[in-house]
Amino acid sequence: MTFQELILALERFWAERGCLIVQPYNSEVGAGTFNPHTFLRAIGPEPWNVAYVEPSRRPTDGRYGENPNRLQQFHQYQVILKPSPLDIQELYLESLRALGTDPQHHDIRFIEDDWESPTLGAWGLGWQVWLDGLEISQFTYFQQCGGIDCKPISGELTYGLERIAMYLQDVDDVYELQWAPGIRYGDIYKRAEWEWSTYNFEQADTDLQKSLFAEYEKQVAQLLGLSEKKGKGGALVFDREPLERLALPAYDAVIKCSHYFNVLDARGAISVTERQRYIGRVRILARAVAESWYAQREALGFPLLKTSAAAE
Amino acid sequence: MSSEFLLEIGTEELPASFVRHALRSMKTSAAELVGQARLETDSLQMDTLGTPRRLALRLRGLAERQPDRDETIMGPPWSAAFEADGSAKKAATGFAKKHRVDVEDLRKQTTDKGDYVSVRVHETGQATREVLGEMLPRLCQRISFPKSMRWGPGEIAFGRPIHWIVSLLGSEVVDFEFAGIRAGRKTRGHRFLAPDSFDLDQASSYESALERAHVIVDIQVRKDRMVEGLLASAKSLGGVLEPDAFLADECVSLVEEPFTVPGQFDESFLELPDAVVISVMRDHQRYFAVRASEGGALLPSYLNVVNTAEDPETIAKGNDRVLRARLADGRFFVEEDRKAPLADRLTKLESVVFQSKLGTMGAKVRRLQANARALAMRSGANADACDEAARLCKADLETLIVYEFPELQGEMGRWYALREGIDPAVADAIRDHYRPQGADDQVPDQVIGAIVAVADRIDTLVGCFGIGLVPSGSADPFALRRAALGIIRIALEGPIDVDLQALIAQAYQAYRGDAKLGAAEEVRASLDDFFRGRIRAMLKDSAGGDVVDACLGAWDGTSLRDLRSRIEAVAELGAAPEFESLAVAFKRAFNITKESARGPIDSTLLEAGAETTLAERFDTVRDQIREATDERRYTDAMKLVATELGAPIDRFFEEVFVMVDDARVRDNRLRLLGEIADTVNGIAHFHQLGTKLQRRDPSVSA
Repeated sequence: MTFQELILALERFWAERGCLIVQPYNSEVGAGTFNPHTFLRAIGPEPWNVAYVEPSRRPTDGRYGENPNRLQQFHQYQVILKPSPLDIQELYLESLRALGTDPQHHDIRFIEDDWESPTLGAWGLGWQVWLDGLEISQFTYFQQCGGIDCKPISGELTYGLERIAMYLQDVDDVYELQWAPGIRYGDIYKRAEWEWSTYNFEQADTDLQKSLFAEYEKQVAQLLGLSEKKGKGGALVFDREPLERLALPAYDAVIKCSHYFNVLDARGAISVTERQRYIGRVRILARAVAESWYAQREALGFPLLKTSAAAE
Repeated sequence: MSSEFLLEIGTEELPASFVRHALRSMKTSAAELVGQARLETDSLQMDTLGTPRRLALRLRGLAERQPDRDETIMGPPWSAAFEADGSAKKAATGFAKKHRVDVEDLRKQTTDKGDYVSVRVHETGQATREVLGEMLPRLCQRISFPKSMRWGPGEIAFGRPIHWIVSLLGSEVVDFEFAGIRAGRKTRGHRFLAPDSFDLDQASSYESALERAHVIVDIQVRKDRMVEGLLASAKSLGGVLEPDAFLADECVSLVEEPFTVPGQFDESFLELPDAVVISVMRDHQRYFAVRASEGGALLPSYLNVVNTAEDPETIAKGNDRVLRARLADGRFFVEEDRKAPLADRLTKLESVVFQSKLGTMGAKVRRLQANARALAMRSGANADACDEAARLCKADLETLIVYEFPELQGEMGRWYALREGIDPAVADAIRDHYRPQGADDQVPDQVIGAIVAVADRIDTLVGCFGIGLVPSGSADPFALRRAALGIIRIALEGPIDVDLQALIAQAYQAYRGDAKLGAAEEVRASLDDFFRGRIRAMLKDSAGGDVVDACLGAWDGTSLRDLRSRIEAVAELGAAPEFESLAVAFKRAFNITKESARGPIDSTLLEAGAETTLAERFDTVRDQIREATDERRYTDAMKLVATELGAPIDRFFEEVFVMVDDARVRDNRLRLLGEIADTVNGIAHFHQLGTKLQRRDPSVSA
């Protein structure tokens, strides 16, 4: 099974089980979770079932294309089922069968792995899934997103596509994977890994990243009308009504901030104490977007609740 | 004898710590609720069973039915319920109605607080099954987890989502509902080997029925079977299993039925330090290591505990691949690390923050060197070697391998140092200075390691106390309690004594120029207090809290071994039969002279008999006691006190009245007792031993 056949098999599998098949986000994200199809849709009462590939950037994980397992950009296959169905584990195991892996013949285990994104103010409980000792997926029940308690709960399945493909194709070096017949992963990405590693570790202009971070931070506040003062108990105060706020462009700016922070981190341009401060700054922005999104959906009467009721 | 009761809650995969925690809370709550429900019998037996996918409680010997109960229920005060003429007020009729009796059935109950209305009610016991049905939802609600989560609609919180509940009393279902799930008799087998659900016909067939469905519900049985499999596999590989209690607990909690699948790796990876190979296998993959013989060389094999082994070759092949990549990473790190000597990392430590107000790790290392040197001088150790060990002890924190495997800190520093040709005693100290890691860990057994260990801990303690980071309640982020305990244990169990006052002063001094700490005297005083608290916590169980307090009272806060000698001397004497009367007498001497002035004793004012005897005896032994005390021969000093002063002081208190009217005689008497008290107090504060005496013999009152 080539890399692209793997993607196609997952797309088909989840489409047949009622997921919307959408596309990767067009901004730099560290994981499928950052895509607004997950981060924003996990908030509030509306149901949401979606699946997509997400090219995910981890600047600090780059190894100049020299390590057979580590990449600064890899591909996740992300599935969100909201509310999480009771048979979500069975669905997941079935999806492995769709990839030609019979769980009966392997050792599959669910190993505790809680997830937390300090920048997104999000956390959940769940597992890593091991296939014969290899971590191939993460499985999370979201408990909180952007500081807001999730209800209902979203189940998130994240497949590590490179790892699964290496397993299925029985290769030890990611660059040897067949993306499509005759085209290897390395033909597409090896040079990119070297360039991006060099950029992230050596050449990224740190002053530029720092000022971009600050500019986008301002942008978020402006688009949401986020006031500098705080309400009771540290509550965020907005000067604009929910439907006058631009939550989606603001969220893009949050993604930018998070990305510039990651690049600065890889460049070693941030001290330990500064690091905490940066994380805190992004978290506030993410929370402001999350609260604005919720307020907007509420003001609109949570439209997808009606759609799903009508469908039933 | 009633039948057995079984509760099984089927869940998605629970982490190991969750299962342990939940089963404990299940058992505690069950004991409480069964007691409250009056279902207890003498033969009641409660067991918990569990796998990653189920939590089970088994009760054997429950009462067949709840016994009837006659109970007296107290009501309102009599005066509030009845008029003086005996007619019932509203409070009385209300109370009677509530308990479904007539007003005439109410009785007067006289208590300390006055007269009250009471009623005797008879409650007919219910059938056990009914009682359980009411009790079980509460029991389920009370199961606790280290962390709970919600799922689906998000209404319920539990360790992991719940899928089924079995609740059987004998062969009958005890009906109840929890988390939207109706209890029944349907259970499920192993997720992969027996995935279908099936009916349990009765509670007592639980274990055998589940075993047929590839689930071993008894944790101990499952573990025994797992270990058996591991031992046999190790043997068939021609080696022995590397025992690992942590890993065994972890692995048994990840499977419902244990199978062992052995795997291999390339022999060339054995050039890596054993600790790296074992860490890769254990921490990343949860594999057991295999050695050629006990304590012998590692074999290029591992043992993997798995949940299914239908196709061991496929499983081994997959695991081999993962391990190969991990070991290759490990080898890459070690090779990279060895390209430069350890000491080259010292410059990197200059940019690593130790604590934001206390500066960098580089600065910390320089302070450790100064502290280690001072300690070496004091204990007559090789100061240059201690300095060198202190200089290098944190260098491995900047190696790739320790970045990847933080638990190998120290171990890898030693390994790299040995390969650079550094003095093995220094290399060992790099590893040993992290010891003791916890209560079960050994202290460094060599002088250099012990010195660097103390130098490191006191630096952290003085620094944190100096900026007000003092542990409070359960908050102790810098593990300061453990650091203090480490120093105490090293002094008491290790190769060097520690003079705490000097150590604190040295460590404080070393911070000069690095950080702004609070006033020296304040830091010293609060640390002295902190150490005393730790010493007390550590020794109170073995020596007795009052003995430790008595010795802490007399101790000057310097040598820790001196403190121990005192404790040993008091404890030794404490075992002797004359101890109690002796302690009572010295306690009296102390209490009576607490406020009085000291001064020379005028022998002409002494009364003949008991007082003169005591004074003369004291005069002959005083210098010997003080000499023994000064020379820290506390057992000798105590012996002198006991044999020479015991009987005379007892007799003195029996025969002589201290507080006589004649002020000159009285003050002289107080001066005599005062000096005796002071002399004895130089060893230990006897007046702090009161509770111990009461505990030994309640008839003795001090």
